[in-house]
Amino acid sequence: MKVIDWVDERLDLSGVRHFVAHKGVPLHAQKVWYYLGGMTLFLFGVQVFTGILLLLYYRPSAAEAYESVQFIVTEVQFGWLIRNLHSWSANLLIGLAFAHFFSVFFLKSYRKPRELTWVSGMLLLFLMLAFGFSGYLLPWNELAFFATKVGTGIAGAVPVVGTFTLRLLRGGDDVTGATLSRFYGLHVAVLPAITTALVAVHLLFVQRQGMSVPIGVERKLKPGEPLPQMPFFPNYILRDVLAWYVVIAVLAALAAFYPWELGTKADPFAPVPAGIRPEWYFLATFHTLKLVPSHVLGIEGEHLGVVVFGAVAIFLVLVPFLDRRASRGQPSRLFTWLAALGLLYLVSFTIIGHYAK
Amino acid sequence: MLTSHAPPTAPPVHSRAVLARPALAGVWVLFTLLVGTHPLHAQATPPGANGCVACHATQTDPRLATPAALFTQPDVHRENGFACVDCHGGSASSTEAAAAHAPAQGFKGKPAGQALVATCARCHSDASFMRRYAPKQRVDQAIEYAASVHGQQLAKGDHKVATCANCHNAHGIRRISDAKSPVFPTNVANTCAVCHKDTTRMAGYTLPGGAALSTHQFSDYQKSVHYAALTKGNDLSAPTCNDCHGNHGAAPPGVGAVTNVCGTCHAVFAQKFAASVHQPIFDKGCVECHGNHAVAEPSDQMLSAGAGGACAACHTAGDATDKGTAAAVAMRTGIERLKTGIDDSGSLIRRIKNAGIEVSDEQLALREAGTKLTLARTEMHGFDVARVEAILADGMKVVASVDSAGQKGVSELRFRRRGLAVSLGAILIFVVALGLKIRQIDRRDHERRATL
Repeated sequence: MKVIDWVDERLDLSGVRHFVAHKGVPLHAQKVWYYLGGMTLFLFGVQVFTGILLLLYYRPSAAEAYESVQFIVTEVQFGWLIRNLHSWSANLLIGLAFAHFFSVFFLKSYRKPRELTWVSGMLLLFLMLAFGFSGYLLPWNELAFFATKVGTGIAGAVPVVGTFTLRLLRGGDDVTGATLSRFYGLHVAVLPAITTALVAVHLLFVQRQGMSVPIGVERKLKPGEPLPQMPFFPNYILRDVLAWYVVIAVLAALAAFYPWELGTKADPFAPVPAGIRPEWYFLATFHTLKLVPSHVLGIEGEHLGVVVFGAVAIFLVLVPFLDRRASRGQPSRLFTWLAALGLLYLVSFTIIGHYAK
Repeated sequence: MLTSHAPPTAPPVHSRAVLARPALAGVWVLFTLLVGTHPLHAQATPPGANGCVACHATQTDPRLATPAALFTQPDVHRENGFACVDCHGGSASSTEAAAAHAPAQGFKGKPAGQALVATCARCHSDASFMRRYAPKQRVDQAIEYAASVHGQQLAKGDHKVATCANCHNAHGIRRISDAKSPVFPTNVANTCAVCHKDTTRMAGYTLPGGAALSTHQFSDYQKSVHYAALTKGNDLSAPTCNDCHGNHGAAPPGVGAVTNVCGTCHAVFAQKFAASVHQPIFDKGCVECHGNHAVAEPSDQMLSAGAGGACAACHTAGDATDKGTAAAVAMRTGIERLKTGIDDSGSLIRRIKNAGIEVSDEQLALREAGTKLTLARTEMHGFDVARVEAILADGMKVVASVDSAGQKGVSELRFRRRGLAVSLGAILIFVVALGLKIRQIDRRDHERRATL
């Protein structure tokens, strides 16, 4: 008796069998974008796996964090590989998450009935950024220390709750070992728990509702004409696996040829080194805040900047409810332009922020 | 204008404070009788009483107007409540010139030479008086000055020499910690040079040995490593004229004392030199090899009896019988070997660091080797070859351990790249196989759909 039959006999897998046998993926010119979500999910898996291995040696205290990472990359067998994979995978993950976000935005895949899938996806994107921000400090090196100081300082500029948020994040008025402990707890317990639950919800929605078909493709179909489908299993899933392998190859090459520098240990009493800037995915926001005048219409510039970014984040979460044309299945040029502007802003300000002094 | 520069409303000291104590009042009377004028006369003048400035500021003769103008600028005495009459005597409250400048009012005019020194010393040599204004300030300047070449020449009636005002200014005197003060460390050499580079003024002056006193000390000093450290490196502890010659007791250190002067800062070098074979031979100590005012940045090239070497003055290059030459060659060879070792290991470590190998420990070890090199260069001043070589050998051991770690790093890099190549090869094979499988499945599905 096969194991699957043994399980089937006890749990009745006929529902699952039926789902797997009949699930299809729409076939059209834009189907390539479907793979981005799977690749992002795969990288999240890599993060969990490498993160657990790093946890075996990492010590979350100001006195030992840097040394423990140094130990991992020098003394632990393949420790360098695991640490480099974790760092590179984190960056690729956020890059792919942004690509997935924009592909869904441009294709209007958020439209009815997938509003909740979009909302859960947006929350996951914010969680990925929180993962990046909290993880950046953990090696307790100079760049991370001062970048965290700047980053938490921006959080402190939030009107009304800013000071409370800053103290909550830092565990005091300044970035210290208490901040490291908090970021560690956030990075390895709180965020993974929330993310896992949200990923489950997001996947459940995707599986339940199937892949969204772009409005343009849908409108070209004659009434009653079915869209060609590709079986999810094994045709689509094998393509997904192929994409994951490509990601593994890229990750391995990056880890071997462009190892993530550890830098020098953070010294809270050292002067702020030149060129302090956050990770690339925060550069656009950081540079924009730098450009905002100190006062705009009597309001403190930094406060205004943070409020505007907060409003943009809320707007993005609410996009499916605001884009009424898309929800009716009609082309929605305004939101296409908004997505294009957003993409242009992010790319250009990230580049400018990178080269700005 | 006058009111804006008026003395503080609460003068720091007043004689009544002293007179209030009966015992001190007795001393006061006795001292007044003995000396006639005394430091306590020179305390802060009551506010609003400095009519001298008001009148002198309106004078057309710059000799009369300039002191008043300078006194209203930053001036440590005015800022502490002192006025013109505290040094010049006279009456600050008289509106008539004759009454203001009356000898009966104690008017002394412009003190010069010994009178100027005495005027300054009235306060600056009185410890109890100075304690009220600058408790940490020394009060032996006048004694030191009297012992200086300047003071001795002045005592002989030579009025060309510097007195207090030549270095500190007479009016507009700034604290020595003020960067604009002529005696602030970065300005001292320029202040001394006003006289000492003036060939006309210095004509006729000689060194203790009888040789004419040169006037190129300042230009020599400007070429020195000390000048560069002070003016370009902003290192205010770097020596300028007064650090070697003394300030108020200015005089050349003299033969035999140079090592002590240099040893004030370069203590370890002086200690090594004091125990060396050269100590009894070198009359001018450190100056024999390093020079005096134009002290150049020391280099390993100096340790040579060949061209450009400091040893060449006494030793002969290539002379096998010259023990000094042999010692210089041995020490220099060892130093160069360690330098090359550190450079080579440094390049290796940098190379593997750039490739992603963690090398903090090796970088730390290389710094230790660098310390050994510095120690060897220091020990060299004792001219004991065996001691220098022992330190160099320790340095070479450190370099060897770093080299070994560097080679392990190179092997690790090779292993990583080979591992990557194998992994990528395996992934490629899998991807190709998967691609073929997908095509096969797609073809089968297509055929199945075609048959339906």
